Amino acid sequence: MQSSTKRMGVMTDVHRRFLQLLMTHGVLEEWDVKRLQRHCYKVHDRNATVDKLEDFINNINSVLESLYIEIKRGVTEDDGRPIYALVNLATTSVSKMATDFAENELDLFRKALELIIDSETGFASSTNILNLVDQLKGKKMKKKEAEQVLQKFVQNKWLIEKEGEFTLHGRAILEMEQYIRETYPDAVKTCNICHSLLIQGQSCETCGIRMHLPCVAKYFQSNAEPRCPHCNDYWPHEIPEVFDPEKERESGISKPNKKPLRSRQR
Amino acid sequence: MLQTPESRGLPVPQAEGEKDGGHDGETRAPTASQERPKEELGAGREEGAAEPALTRKGARALAVKALARRRAYRRLNRTVAELVQFLLVKDKKKSPITRSEMVKYVIGDLKALFPDIIARAAEHLRYVFGFELKQFDRKHHTYILINKLKPLEEEEEEDLGGDGPRLGLLMMILGLIYMRGNSAREAQVWEMLRRLGMQPSKYHFLFGYPKRLIMEDFVQQRYLSYRRVPHTSPPEYEFSWGPRSNLEISKMKVLGFVAKLHKKEPQHWPVQYREALADEADRARAKARAEASMRARASARAGIHLW
Repeated sequence: MQSSTKRMGVMTDVHRRFLQLLMTHGVLEEWDVKRLQRHCYKVHDRNATVDKLEDFINNINSVLESLYIEIKRGVTEDDGRPIYALVNLATTSVSKMATDFAENELDLFRKALELIIDSETGFASSTNILNLVDQLKGKKMKKKEAEQVLQKFVQNKWLIEKEGEFTLHGRAILEMEQYIRETYPDAVKTCNICHSLLIQGQSCETCGIRMHLPCVAKYFQSNAEPRCPHCNDYWPHEIPEVFDPEKERESGISKPNKKPLRSRQR
Repeated sequence: MLQTPESRGLPVPQAEGEKDGGHDGETRAPTASQERPKEELGAGREEGAAEPALTRKGARALAVKALARRRAYRRLNRTVAELVQFLLVKDKKKSPITRSEMVKYVIGDLKALFPDIIARAAEHLRYVFGFELKQFDRKHHTYILINKLKPLEEEEEEDLGGDGPRLGLLMMILGLIYMRGNSAREAQVWEMLRRLGMQPSKYHFLFGYPKRLIMEDFVQQRYLSYRRVPHTSPPEYEFSWGPRSNLEISKMKVLGFVAKLHKKEPQHWPVQYREALADEADRARAKARAEASMRARASARAGIHLW
């Protein structure tokens, strides 16, 4: 109704610098976000105690609300790494991309998006995407050019490429989930555990329900006999490991995989 | 579509952190009837209303008007928010934004309210992001964003990342190229990456796909040149400094970087050191020439102010 009890946050240069840098990157992993936050304090307010990240971000989000944007936290679909991005709250299609890309490029993205959503694995092959080049709106695009555009999408973290196939980057899922669910309500897949949009995941071979790899990891953690939560049939896939930030940093390089990581010890 | 509670509305400019208490962000309630959340048509008599039209028809008309006003206000808020996002995205590309672009892509038929919209957008940009929206060219109505946050020290800049890690990688490659006599075979670059713990085509959390970063980004941005080595079969390729690297960094700086890495002095590599000295001399001469001609042109020009 009238006044809400939640007070709008206050912005200082610490928060502004943080926002500027987050925008520069587009999307960041959690350890990088924490590092960034610490350095923003160091630069602009050396003696202050660093807010807990969640509070820090909630504070900024309360200010961003009137601009219909927010800092959203998500998790990568392949190995459960937490990521952050500044996203639009108003679903105006592929809005953030609209000013960066030409009409035919946006349409190429939409075509790729459709193929990805329709696919069984969450991946669309380069060939299949490029074959749709003739159907694009706007200026005519050759296949060679389309290949470059796809690479541009990868560089800008809208798509991920693995072995000639494309899927959505975590950033795209964060930014476009609502748009995707509204635009493709029948084709869209969701996770049985977290109920969010699902692009990559595992599925039950009996009843067909799907789960994100990190959701599988959490749900079946230390479960000797994993069973489908819906039909109780034996879960036939390898159970991935739960993401552990400490372990990740030691190895230094992330290992994105279509299949889950290591087999469990029995 | 919009999920956010719209009761917050826009913060009134000059009153940062303050919230309007009005329903749907309206700061003013012209009639008593609007302070009630009752918007239903035919709400009947409103108690305490100072309005003359207390008939059912009158109250309905008021309610409809109030709804339309609220919708218009919401639409205005949304347009301001979209303009803020538009300006931020455009500024990232480092090209000035024109008024006509703003009208075409964001403002649309609210064109008459442009001054109000842009003033609010500017206030948001200032308070929330620390950018100043500056009119760059009064005649052509172009704008740019200036960062109002204090400029960073060099080491602070590195810490804060951004392009930091990528440029660090670029430095390593420029160093490799320089130390190998101004060109390095493709294979040598991948070898260096592997020694740094990177696979060229494997996704890296800092660089994405290193091979893509190097072969596409750096080459497209003209930091690196990528050429086929003549008379090689199967064909081999090599990297050399691109024109942009020559503009943005010097051989001496890169040699200094390599020297630091090896914990030695630049003079440790006499050939490269001599070359870097010669390069410094060239740059000094070119700079002096450029400054002289600029002064000559400036005094001839009729004082056009850019900023």
